[in-house]
Amino acid sequence: MNVGRQQGASESESRPLNTFKEITVDNDLTEAKRPEEAILRDLSAHGYDENTTFAIKLALEEAMTNAFRHGNQCDPDKRITVRYSVTDDRIEIQVCDEGEGFCPGDVPDPTEPGYIDRPHGRGIMLMRAYLDEVEFCSKGCSVRLVKFRKQTP
Amino acid sequence: MNESDMKRPPGRDQAFGLRVERWDRGAVVYATGSCTMEVAHRLGETIREVADEKRPLILLDLSNLEFIESTGLGGIVSGYLRVRRYKGEVRIVAPCPSIRHVLEVTRLTHLFPVFETLEMARKSPMVQ
Repeated sequence: MNVGRQQGASESESRPLNTFKEITVDNDLTEAKRPEEAILRDLSAHGYDENTTFAIKLALEEAMTNAFRHGNQCDPDKRITVRYSVTDDRIEIQVCDEGEGFCPGDVPDPTEPGYIDRPHGRGIMLMRAYLDEVEFCSKGCSVRLVKFRKQTP
Repeated sequence: MNESDMKRPPGRDQAFGLRVERWDRGAVVYATGSCTMEVAHRLGETIREVADEKRPLILLDLSNLEFIESTGLGGIVSGYLRVRRYKGEVRIVAPCPSIRHVLEVTRLTHLFPVFETLEMARKSPMVQ
């Protein structure tokens, strides 16, 4: 298993899968909006703020784009499965593709001087920047995204 | 919050829009709404088209853009690379705080200067 966890993030326990909702879509970027819209509706219902909604939308778009393009290689016969749980204290999402997987450690840091003017390669970095936990599983065919509700003092 | 936002259900995007205004030595590309994964390729295509007209200054007005993801960012970078072939510049204008944060966290503010207004971006001298 290749694990790319955000450095310094505390590792939270995965929730039982039976508490998750699941949506499977064709490998198509327009179809890929369906789980995003459902998850953002749940965020709104749970009263999450604009910044959290922006972060989840951004991370999910990056995960779906990676699944569509790099995982499923734009193959229209493949599918993307999204499992998600939105509660009052946290949001957890798993995005799974049907590709060959990859090693997150092989992806260069797009903020380094030699890579900053490259048009591609910012998706994983953005997920890590905006979420509390980002974990790749199943040889890179699945990514688990977690964000906690910001505690107000 | 404007009227269209109030009618928009949670999770629904504001439609992505692109408009170009040209003048003798440059162009303003207005990007509006949500630059999401299924439409983001259009941003880079538009900037590259304008760059190929060999106008040295491209101003990217983001004042009415509410969301952008990495394909859209990559499109701006590809436009920047194209305009540099002609010794030109891409300048970002008036991003909202959340878009500005995306530009800062990706360090793209090191590639593109960010201006508060179109007028300031237009009048600032060319670096090259």
